Amino acid sequence: MAKETASKSATQQGFEDFCHETFDFKKAFGKPEALKGYRVLSCTQYILGPSCASYMAELGAEVIKIEAPRRGEAMRHTTPFNEPFLYPLSRWVPERGTGLGFLGANPNEYFISVDFHRPEGQAIVKKLAAKSDVMVENYRPGTFDRWGIGYRQLREINPRLVYCWLGGFGGWGPGRVRASYDILGQSQGGNFGMTGKPEFLGGTPSKHTIWLADYWGGMMGAVQILAALYWRDKISGEGTFTEYSQVHGVTRQLEYALPLYGRHGVTRERWGNWDTQLCVHGIIKCGKSSYPKSENPQEQEEGYILISAYDDKDFARLCQAVGDGKTAEKYAKHDARVKPQSQMEIYPWLEKWAADKTKEQVAETLDKAGINNQPVWNAKEVANHPHWQQRGAVQWLDDPTFGDLMHQGPAYKMSHTPPRLKWALKPVGADNEYILGKLAGLSSEELRRLEEQECI
Amino acid sequence: MLLTCPSCKTKNFLDPYPFWNFKGKTKCAGCGKVWRLETAGGACVSGPEAADGQADLLPGFAEKPDYSPISGPGLTRSAPRARKDSVCRPIPIQKNVRGQIVSGHPLKKEDLVGSRPKFIVERT
Amino acid sequence: MATPKVAPWPAIPIAKPDEVYGGLSDQAKEYPTFLETILRQEKNFEKPEALSRLRVLDCSTRMMIGHWCSSMLSELGAEVIQVEPPGGDPLRKNTPFGRREYMFRDKETGEEVGGQFLHEMRNKLSITLNLETEEGREILRKLAVHADVVIENAPPGQWDSWGIGYRQLKEINPRLIYCWVGQRGQWGPLKDKAGVLDPTAQAACGFVHGTGDPKEFGGQPTRSALWMADHVGGTTAAMGILAAVLYRENISGEGQFVEATAAEAIIRILDYSWAWYSMDGSIRPRYGNWDLAINIYAVNPCKDGYMMVGGGHDRLWYRIWRVVGDEYPAVEEDILGDLHLREVADRLGHDMQVKTYTMLGEWLKDNPRSEAERKLSKQQVASGGVLYVNEVAEYPHFKYRGHVAETESPFYGKILYGTTPFLQHKTPGRLKWLGRPTGHDNEDVYRRLLGFAREDFARLKKSNVI
Repeated sequence: MAKETASKSATQQGFEDFCHETFDFKKAFGKPEALKGYRVLSCTQYILGPSCASYMAELGAEVIKIEAPRRGEAMRHTTPFNEPFLYPLSRWVPERGTGLGFLGANPNEYFISVDFHRPEGQAIVKKLAAKSDVMVENYRPGTFDRWGIGYRQLREINPRLVYCWLGGFGGWGPGRVRASYDILGQSQGGNFGMTGKPEFLGGTPSKHTIWLADYWGGMMGAVQILAALYWRDKISGEGTFTEYSQVHGVTRQLEYALPLYGRHGVTRERWGNWDTQLCVHGIIKCGKSSYPKSENPQEQEEGYILISAYDDKDFARLCQAVGDGKTAEKYAKHDARVKPQSQMEIYPWLEKWAADKTKEQVAETLDKAGINNQPVWNAKEVANHPHWQQRGAVQWLDDPTFGDLMHQGPAYKMSHTPPRLKWALKPVGADNEYILGKLAGLSSEELRRLEEQECI
Repeated sequence: MLLTCPSCKTKNFLDPYPFWNFKGKTKCAGCGKVWRLETAGGACVSGPEAADGQADLLPGFAEKPDYSPISGPGLTRSAPRARKDSVCRPIPIQKNVRGQIVSGHPLKKEDLVGSRPKFIVERT
Repeated sequence: MATPKVAPWPAIPIAKPDEVYGGLSDQAKEYPTFLETILRQEKNFEKPEALSRLRVLDCSTRMMIGHWCSSMLSELGAEVIQVEPPGGDPLRKNTPFGRREYMFRDKETGEEVGGQFLHEMRNKLSITLNLETEEGREILRKLAVHADVVIENAPPGQWDSWGIGYRQLKEINPRLIYCWVGQRGQWGPLKDKAGVLDPTAQAACGFVHGTGDPKEFGGQPTRSALWMADHVGGTTAAMGILAAVLYRENISGEGQFVEATAAEAIIRILDYSWAWYSMDGSIRPRYGNWDLAINIYAVNPCKDGYMMVGGGHDRLWYRIWRVVGDEYPAVEEDILGDLHLREVADRLGHDMQVKTYTMLGEWLKDNPRSEAERKLSKQQVASGGVLYVNEVAEYPHFKYRGHVAETESPFYGKILYGTTPFLQHKTPGRLKWLGRPTGHDNEDVYRRLLGFAREDFARLKKSNVI
């Protein structure tokens, strides 16, 4: 593949402007929505289920989140270091707030509260399901079936319903009864044990610090749902049941580990911030902090940077930039560099060179030499970076309930029907009157009665 | 590993990751006595023996037998913090990092319009 | 170096349903047995495929993000044609530590392929095409007429300058969904430079900074072992493509331009980092294998490795200490007597987490993973050990459900692999084949789509266009 950057012809300059205009997130609301007219029920809690439904909310589906009355679902009560909350939690409990753990998994949705345990609550769910395209739930397997609102019951009411269940270990098999969390999925699925510094260098396995199995698992659930909707609308007219197991997803991601183990009996182990297949392609420490005078302890830390120079000519240029002819000669060929013993020499050598520099200084030197690099940025650096702001990856949101918040934008862009961010979340039961009135046909008197009984 | 100081009975919490396989000296956060010990797989296999000099690694946290907490520079290792003034309790926030209004503090029923804070609805 | 003899997989036979559900009451086994009737993978090929009407040209090279995206589609039934440069995608040559002996060799041609590329080359056809030549680009234009989706990851603007970008291809095929994938973007101050690869995206989005042990524990920012951002980015690309397909079929009859980047996929799922920063200037710190927002919810060392235990709310918190108290009553007593740990919210402070996990460690040090799990599960507490891939491959529950399976490739022999998690009643995802030699399908694809005759093949091969 050609490695030269495309020439700066008039077309090239035109192309970047074209992209900027085509994908401008500020223009999104002038364009139609891909899932206009679709309705999704999100009977979900924590992250796996809710995030799945939220990806469809970004595409314009009407997503209705159903939670326990008054205090909502458990994820609203988690927040980092117990500090930031968004108030009110609900109009019945305004002195409490929703923790930020809830944020990101439920944007653009309508929020109602229904007690699934009670027959009246189940009747409401059935009414909603009759009019919905998708049901997403991540309760323990068989729970909704027992409550009369599982796949077997709802498909009688609405044969076009796409019923999506997500969970940790799946609904069948010897481990089906195990409760699951994201990092349990990571631990048992196999990506946890591979990540982090190697044992022999004093390292330990490390979790991925995003709820990867949950949030990405939700995406996988959404891919299944979109495919099922396409098949239904285009071909069959039928709904279906989809099952997604988090731990299964993690195992799917293990790249060469399973083929290697199956063929050679070799177990893939940790290799820290270096790469097992390419060298130089790793993250090194730079000795100096970029903000030594900052009051924030996170900024006082020294910087880190990814250096990527695995092609032989790039490596030669890297050695030139570092000013070391010996290493250039010894490791001129990739086969020589990529061996573990070589890597254990090369990266410390690079860290020695970077020991008196900030990550920005290292980046500048490497940029001048035309070597790919990426400083390791913290949350503040990412939040304030013009690249992510321009592209709408992070956006200042004027949230109708909570005010001025920075929030992540949709992950991907579309020219004609862009996904978009409308609001971050709402208090528990904020849309009871609107949704239950229009979809479940409940009069204001019935709503009041059910509210008094805490059924909604 | 829980190190109950042989001298003053302070509970020193030698947290799992750095102290699981440890050989060296730590210091009681209660009385300052230095103890040499060796752990393997989280269990103490040698010591604690009284020692001199500096500690190699401080405990993660400590408390007196009556649960009163002991932590601080020179006593326990510092906590990872997101800000200089972390308190680990709900903090009321009215203005955000760019000086705009955000609903980050507790409310009463009369502060609401439906489920929304009045002061958000009535922003100009 | 003597190669160890490898025992066949599975080392322990996979359980049968009777063994799993035997001994349960009818009521207890009714629902899981029902699920098995609609979900077991043995039935996959009796069922239709959701995306069999779609044809995808995966022209991405050297990054996993495009291949992951097209795998999502190919597992669900789309016809995916991987368009590789002559000689194959350079990713084929990647192998751990450069070890050729770890590669997989095509029985017929002797061509070698590394495990990473092999694992993602599922259900796809392979053709070769040299897009550096004008003739190659002309052929791509002709192929685009027959495609529903084109995926590419060339440096920003390259395909546009070659006359095969979105703007040009949409004139040829207005129904085409054109998807660019990359690390940071095809526009913006940081747009991709040629050759960038994951973990560029991981470092650029805040993931690396937030992962790993805090400095106070002797740790550093940590990348994922995997090209994980590519996997997540590829999944978002698949979402965008399927949304575009739905819109085209339902309403517009037109294609569109989709852009997905690995970095933004991760930014989307870094949950509260951005809002937290915006509210009070907090910069999310690394917290190792503990959690900033829930205690108990962590992985800690145990007797034979590392153990995950989870239970933040009261019901589970007290059950965990009950289990501990069976062996260490003094520990349970101490915890129950500590007023600072009484409120759920109070348990989140770092000091309290240090105490919690140190005390839990007193019990974990004497319990291997399987024992810890057995004891905790009696109290319905979620827990499990950190498993390494050899353990994952033999884990009874995963074998039973087919998370791990073996396929026999006519090219490469027996391969152990991670199966598709797309379990469905009506249109499940499935594996048709794993691995495909470079250009294996030139004859088939070029003949049936473009009407190539023998002289075309000869001429184009000679001029290195295919």
